[in-house]
Amino acid sequence: MLEMLFGNQNTERILFTLLLSKKCYAKQLADRFEVAVFGVQTTLQKLERAGVLISFKGGNTRIFEFNPRYPFLLELKQLLKKAYEFLPKEIKDKYYEPTTRKRPRRTGKPL
Amino acid sequence: MKNINLKKITIKDLAKIIGTQLSKHGVEVVLVGGACVSIYSENKYISYDLDFITYESNKKIKTALKEIGFEYDKKKYYIHSDCEYFLEFLAPPIAIGNQPIQNFNTISSDLGSIKILTPTDCIKDRLAAYIHWDDKESLEQAIMVAKVQKIDVNKIKKWAQEEFNGEKIKDFVEKLSI
Repeated sequence: MLEMLFGNQNTERILFTLLLSKKCYAKQLADRFEVAVFGVQTTLQKLERAGVLISFKGGNTRIFEFNPRYPFLLELKQLLKKAYEFLPKEIKDKYYEPTTRKRPRRTGKPL
Repeated sequence: MKNINLKKITIKDLAKIIGTQLSKHGVEVVLVGGACVSIYSENKYISYDLDFITYESNKKIKTALKEIGFEYDKKKYYIHSDCEYFLEFLAPPIAIGNQPIQNFNTISSDLGSIKILTPTDCIKDRLAAYIHWDDKESLEQAIMVAKVQKIDVNKIKKWAQEEFNGEKIKDFVEKLSI
């Protein structure tokens, strides 16, 4: 939807994911969208260089989030929110709002 | 550049040389980040990273810096085998929070000149990092600059009030008075 504006589909997917989930990492996105990790990593790094995202190391994983100091962050989020409303429900449910458990679960607890 | 010893150069002198070399090629840059803290704190804080912001293309930058021996490496920095400092070019705009920066300082000598954030903007830049990420090192850097440079504390307080509802700025003001 914003793919043409952003130049590629990975950018749109990353930004929608961050809008919904606040944080993301390359492998998670590659698995979710069934695309190559390398392509996602390249796009994440491109967005980081542009100042849109920042990243932190979490164990062995590089975790990305929106850069709170990006001067157009508010406006970018508004555009993303508006565009997200136009996404079909199936796409939202499948990729951006899957029903995964977010609350804690004690280590070793049987399922 | 002929008689400059890059092994012993200061960050301030290197910034001026880079600024002038790029300007010769039509590339205007502004020095931001930790290098400004180094310069304004008179090296109480040491940075080896010179961050520049420009609207010009990487191609022009590469050509200009190659002439003085700086090569673009795979990690997207410019490095020189004789120099401990490395150069990075960040994406524009030049802004602190929601405010675009329009006024800069220029520091000059016979080595050249470089446009740089004002001390007040340099402090705001560090305080923004402290406020967003609770990065104590950034707060310390802001204090280092504030203790050496003439700054307008009220202007900084006003900015913090507008951008962050004044959150955490008292930490800066308190530390400054110690």
